[in-house]
Amino acid sequence: MVLHKFGDKLYSGLVATMTGHLKDIAQSVEAAQGGSFLEELNRKWNDHNKALQMIRDILMYMDRTYIPSTQKTPVHELGLNLWKENVIYSSQSRTRLLNTLLELVHSERTAEVIDRGIMRNITKMLMDLGPSVYGQEFETHFLQVSAEFYRVESQKFIECCDCGDYLKKAERRLNEEMERVSHYLDSRTEKKITNVVEKEMIENHMLRLIHMENSGLVHMLCDDKYEDLSRMYNLFRRVTDGLSKVREVMTSHMRESGKQLVTDPERLKDPVEYVQRLLDEKDKYDKIINLAFNNDKSFQNALNSSFEYFINLNPRSPEFISLFVDDKLRKGLKGVSEDDVEVTLDKVMMLFRYLQEKDVFEKYYKQHLAKRLLSGKTVSDDAERSLIVKLKTECGYQFTSKLEGMFTDMKTSQDTMQGFYGCHPELSDGPTLTVQVLTTGSWPTQSSVTCNLPAEMSALCEKFRSYYLGTHTGRRLSWQTNMGTADLKATFGKGQKHELNVSTYQMCVLMLFNNADRLSYKEIEQATEIPASDLKRCLQSLALVKGRNVLRKEPMGKEIVEDDAFFVNDKFSSKLYKVKIGTVVAQKESEPEKQETRQRVEEDRKPQIEAAIVRIMKSRKQLDHNNLIAEVTKQLQSRFLANPTEVKKRIESLIERDFLERDDSDRRLYRYLA
Amino acid sequence: PYVDMILVDGITLLCNDIQVDPQDIVMVTRNVENFQLVLSWHMKAGTMCEFSKKEFIEGLQSLGIDSLEKFQEKIPYMRSELKDEQKFREIYNFAFGWAKEKGQKSLALDTAIGMWQLLFAEKQWPLVDHWCQFLQARHNKAISRDTWSQLLEFAKTVGSNLSDYDAEGAWPYLIDEFVEYLNENGVIQNGLINDSSLKR
Repeated sequence: MVLHKFGDKLYSGLVATMTGHLKDIAQSVEAAQGGSFLEELNRKWNDHNKALQMIRDILMYMDRTYIPSTQKTPVHELGLNLWKENVIYSSQSRTRLLNTLLELVHSERTAEVIDRGIMRNITKMLMDLGPSVYGQEFETHFLQVSAEFYRVESQKFIECCDCGDYLKKAERRLNEEMERVSHYLDSRTEKKITNVVEKEMIENHMLRLIHMENSGLVHMLCDDKYEDLSRMYNLFRRVTDGLSKVREVMTSHMRESGKQLVTDPERLKDPVEYVQRLLDEKDKYDKIINLAFNNDKSFQNALNSSFEYFINLNPRSPEFISLFVDDKLRKGLKGVSEDDVEVTLDKVMMLFRYLQEKDVFEKYYKQHLAKRLLSGKTVSDDAERSLIVKLKTECGYQFTSKLEGMFTDMKTSQDTMQGFYGCHPELSDGPTLTVQVLTTGSWPTQSSVTCNLPAEMSALCEKFRSYYLGTHTGRRLSWQTNMGTADLKATFGKGQKHELNVSTYQMCVLMLFNNADRLSYKEIEQATEIPASDLKRCLQSLALVKGRNVLRKEPMGKEIVEDDAFFVNDKFSSKLYKVKIGTVVAQKESEPEKQETRQRVEEDRKPQIEAAIVRIMKSRKQLDHNNLIAEVTKQLQSRFLANPTEVKKRIESLIERDFLERDDSDRRLYRYLA
Repeated sequence: PYVDMILVDGITLLCNDIQVDPQDIVMVTRNVENFQLVLSWHMKAGTMCEFSKKEFIEGLQSLGIDSLEKFQEKIPYMRSELKDEQKFREIYNFAFGWAKEKGQKSLALDTAIGMWQLLFAEKQWPLVDHWCQFLQARHNKAISRDTWSQLLEFAKTVGSNLSDYDAEGAWPYLIDEFVEYLNENGVIQNGLINDSSLKR
C-alpha cells in the first residue's frame, strides 16, 4: 500500500484500529476486580507488546520509508503511546493504578507479603512508557506518600522509643527502602527515597535524638555503646550537618567531663591517678572513634582540641604528667614487657603534646629525673632513654640536651670513681664515698648550702676533691649535701644489727649519736648546719615514722619543735636487715615550691621571647604590633603559650635597649634597629 | 666641668633680672615652671637646671633676644607656645631627656610625676591625677622613654572615658594596666569619670 501511495491510509487505519482495540482492553482491565486488576493489566500489556512486535514486523516497510519521510511516530512508539493514552490514562484506571501500587507498598511496609513480581512488571511497564510516565504516574506520588508515612511513623517512634531503638528502626527502614528499590523500582529512585527517609526520620529529629535524655549521644558515650554510636554515625552522616551536630555535642561533653576531671580537688591529691584518668579518658574516646566513628579525622581533631582545652585548664598538669612518668620509671614498669613500656610512654607523649606549657613540663621532668638518677631509683635505663628520644623527636635537640647531659654526668662519674679508688687503694677499708659530679646548668639549680659532714667523711671528700681537681684543672667543686644518700651499719640496744639506707642529712644526724646519747634539736642544728626546714623533715622521718623510728624524741608529739631532744631508739626493731628510711617529702610540690618553679619558668621564658622577637624583626625589618605578637606566639608555641602581656613587656624592653623603635607616624609599627 | 654654665644660682639671678619669681622657677621637682622647660627646649639644653654657655647663647639668638627687655617681652610668647599642639608634643618629648638624670635610660618616677602634673596642667588631661596615683600604688619604678611618649598619644587619642581604648592597640603594658586599674576601681562609670574615687 505504501508503494501505491496509500501510506497515509495505512497509517491512519492502524491508528484507528489499534485505538479501538485498546479501548476494549481498557474496559476489560477496568472491569477486573480488586487484586486481579494489576494481573489483568499486566497480562494485557504483555499481549499488547507481543502484538505490537508483530505489527511492527508486518509494517516494517512503512516503518522504514513512509514514516521517516512524513515524520510520523514510528510503529512501536505509536503502540506505546496509544497504550498509554487509552489504557493507563483512562479516567477509570489512572488513579486506581496509582492507588493500588501505593497500597501495595504500604502493605509491604506494614510487614505484609506482597507479590513483588507483579509490582516489578507494572513499574517496568511505566518505565517502558517513558521516564516521565514513571515519574508522573508513580514516583512523585510514591515519594510524597512515603514522606507522609515516615513523618507519622517517626513521630510515633520518637515519642516512645529511646534513641538507640529509634536509630535501629530508622536503619531498618532505610535498608527496607533500598531493598524495595532493588526489587521492583527504578534504581534511580533509590537516592530519592532514601533522601525522604533520611529527612523524615533523621534530619527532622536530629537534635532531639542527640539530646535525648538517658539514651542520647552523651549517654551512649558514657556507656561506650559502640554499636549505637556506630549506627548514629552512619545514619547522621547521610544528612546535612548531621555529623557536625554529633561532633559538637561530643566535643562539649568531652570538654565538660574533662574539665570536671582536671578541676576536681580530689583528683589533685594523687597525681599518678590524675594522669591515669586522663589516659583512660583518652583511650575511651580513641576506642569510640575507632570502633564507631570510622576513625573519622574530624572527630579525631575534635578529640585533640578538647583534650588540649581541658588539660591546660589545670596549671599543674605538666607537673603531674612528669610525676606520672616518674612513678612509672621508678617502680611501675617492673615486670612489664618492653613493648608495654613503649605503649605507656607513647601514651604519655600524647598527653605531653596537648600541653601548652611544655617548658614547665621540662622543668619538672628535669627535677624528677635528677632525683631518679641520683637516688639510683630508675628501673630501666632503656625506658629513660627511650623517653628522652621521644621528647627529642617532639621538641628538638634543645629541649633535651640538658637531660642528656645529666645521663652523661652519671656515666662519667662512674669512671671518675673507679679512677679515684684506683689511685687510693688504701681507702678500701674505711667508709666508701661515691661522688656524682654534676655539670652546673644541666641539673636543676640547687641552693648549695653545704652541711657539716662527719669528720671521716669530710676527710674523704677532701681527698676526692684534690684527686678530681688534679685531673680536671680549672674546675670548681661544691658539695650538694642535700641530694645524696648513705648506707649506715648500726647496732641497737639489744644487739640488733641493721643496715640503714638514709639521706646524707640523716647520715649526718645519726653519726652524731656515735658520741652522744642525748642531743637537743639546737645541738643537732649547730653541729650539722642543716637548713632548718630540711632538718625538721629529716628528724621527722628518723623519729616519727613507725617502723623506721631509729631515733626517739622527747617529748612525744607529731611535730618537730626546737625544744625537742633526741635519743637513739634502743627498742628499734625491724624484720628486715636493710631498712630504708625515706625523707618525708611532699611528692607533689608545696605551694611555695610551686610558686618558685613558676617564677623560674617565667624567668626562663623572657630570653626566649626576646630572642623570638629579635629573630622575627631581624628578618621582617618592620612589623605591626598585632602581627608581631601573633608570630612570636606561633614561634614559641611548641614550647609554651606566650602571654601577650609578657611579650609586650619584652618588646618594650627591647625598645628601651634600642633593638627596636616605634615608627614616628604609626605608633603600632615597630622597626628593627640593626 | 661646670665652667661656662649657668647652674641653679645663675638661673635664680636670671629670673630676678627678667622679673620672673625665682621661687617659681627654682627647680623643685614638683614645681618646675613651664617657662623654664620651654626656654630649655629653645636652647636645646641637655639637662634640667643647667644651661651651658653655648646653649644659652644659641638659644637666645634663635629667639631673637639680645636684651633683658626683649627677654621679658618674649615670656608671654614662650608660655603661649605650649598651646600649640605640635610644639607641645615636641616640648613634651624633649622634657623626658631634659628631666632625667644623666647617664640614666629612664626617668625617675618622682620627677616624671612632677613633669606630668606640670605638663598636663597645660594640656588638660583629666586622668593625670589617677595616672600618677596609679603609678605610685602599682608601679613605683622609673619610667621608660617609650612609656613617656606613648602616654601623650594615649591622652590625645583615647578619650577620657576610655571609649576609644583598644586592648590590642600596642599601648605599653603600663598603660594597659592603668586602664585595668581605672576599671577595677570604678573610676570610669557610665562613660564618666567618677572623681570621688580619687583619694588624695
